[in-house]
Amino acid sequence: SKWKEPLKEEGRKKKPNLMQIVYGASGSSDTALMNENRENSDDEESDDEDFFKPKGEQIKKLGGGWDVGYVNSEECSKFVNYGNLKNWKEKEVCESIRDRFTTGDWSTAGLRNK
Amino acid sequence: MEKTIYKRLKGSQSFRQRLLLSTLSSTPILISEIRDDDMIPGLRPYEISLLRLFETVSDDCSVVINETGTQFKYKPGIIMGGKNLVHNCALSRSIGYYLEPLLVLGLFAKKPLSIRLRGVTNDAGDPSVDTFRSTTLRILTRFGVPKEGLDLKIEARGVAPGGGGEVLLTVPNVQSLTAVQWTDEGMVKRIRGTTFSTRVTRDFEHSMRYAARGIFNNLLPDVHISEDHKAGTQAGKSPGYGISLYAETTTECVISADTAVSYGRTDETGELDAEKEVRLPAEDTGVQIASWLLHEVEKGGVVDSTHQGLLFILCALCQQDVSKVRVGTLSPNGVETLRNIKEFLGVKFGIKPDTETGTVILTCVGSGLINLSRKLS
Repeated sequence: SKWKEPLKEEGRKKKPNLMQIVYGASGSSDTALMNENRENSDDEESDDEDFFKPKGEQIKKLGGGWDVGYVNSEECSKFVNYGNLKNWKEKEVCESIRDRFTTGDWSTAGLRNK
Repeated sequence: MEKTIYKRLKGSQSFRQRLLLSTLSSTPILISEIRDDDMIPGLRPYEISLLRLFETVSDDCSVVINETGTQFKYKPGIIMGGKNLVHNCALSRSIGYYLEPLLVLGLFAKKPLSIRLRGVTNDAGDPSVDTFRSTTLRILTRFGVPKEGLDLKIEARGVAPGGGGEVLLTVPNVQSLTAVQWTDEGMVKRIRGTTFSTRVTRDFEHSMRYAARGIFNNLLPDVHISEDHKAGTQAGKSPGYGISLYAETTTECVISADTAVSYGRTDETGELDAEKEVRLPAEDTGVQIASWLLHEVEKGGVVDSTHQGLLFILCALCQQDVSKVRVGTLSPNGVETLRNIKEFLGVKFGIKPDTETGTVILTCVGSGLINLSRKLS
């Protein structure tokens, strides 16, 4: 019915469809992401100093942790980003994952897999 | 002779997975434009080394690389396995890089695999050999791989840049893998791990253990981190230290985190990578890895982000049955893996976020890969 439609759309906006992110929207190639990255790198070339920089280096600069889809990315299964780790020395931070440990509340932990 | 039809691919991305999936699915591949924009174009020494490793464990495969190394053809052969094999890994990537595809390859070989790998055992970029022992091998047993004959012995440790480490890997063969229903990550019941030091004083290890333990004190009493100080020929060629930790849950899931600190490698141009030259003190290393482990536990999932790729590949290789697994946030490598699996095996996963726990549930029907070369006993 009509009144449901705006609601449905709202719901779609909130949750990105993981299937589409991973496999690309219905058949379109997932290389769009990579081409975008590379075009950006060309724009930044305007400085005279950077004129004779080898191409590879600029990509290195741009390529942060998440360089999925870039044709010549390095393959590495270990995914680390120590930069924005929480301060686990603090008690309150630890309490937030208390129920993931056997020292926490077993009933709430059990709910996870219901 | 019939003409070989090659699957055409581009770039150096997913090099290992492409080789592995190409071999398992007997799909010849032709990869072009490998780093053709780079200052030093073409395949890297570690990629060549990986190709040689694939040649070592299989029969009848053919590798043709062009002059600049920007293009190569690979026609997979029969995975043989076998005993007393030796491979010297290029030192620019640690042994973990080579072990990841080799493990899966070994399962589908004709004979049980027993191979000695020499090189860098621990570094910051790839999973350490300790993590393989504690975590990776256990993931395989979930899929019906027998525990007997599945082992990784660390005979000598070696860090970058000199290497000099040595491990002995043995992998049994399977007929096929069993599908899993693996969505209960359980609660963390204990934390274990090990530190190591080569060619430096063991005081570094003490600092790391003490610091790491301090992080876990608020959460769990059952923490034990052992030490492994190496000397003489067992300590490799370069000084360094490192730590590998893992958390075991009530449902026997294992979450891992590891790193190592040593002198940086020189890159292809012969210059030291400026970023990597900053070495973290032992105490901070301990805090960092302990924190990362808790971060991985917080994310949830039956495996950590490092093992997502392996998990998906195993699910996709299973007998034609439904597998269901839970992971934390999808890692970049996990996403790449899902795409490669679809490309080579035609297996597409159903991916659903579980909003309540912030995890992701993946389901797939295995491709039903059967090990045809294995001799029936």
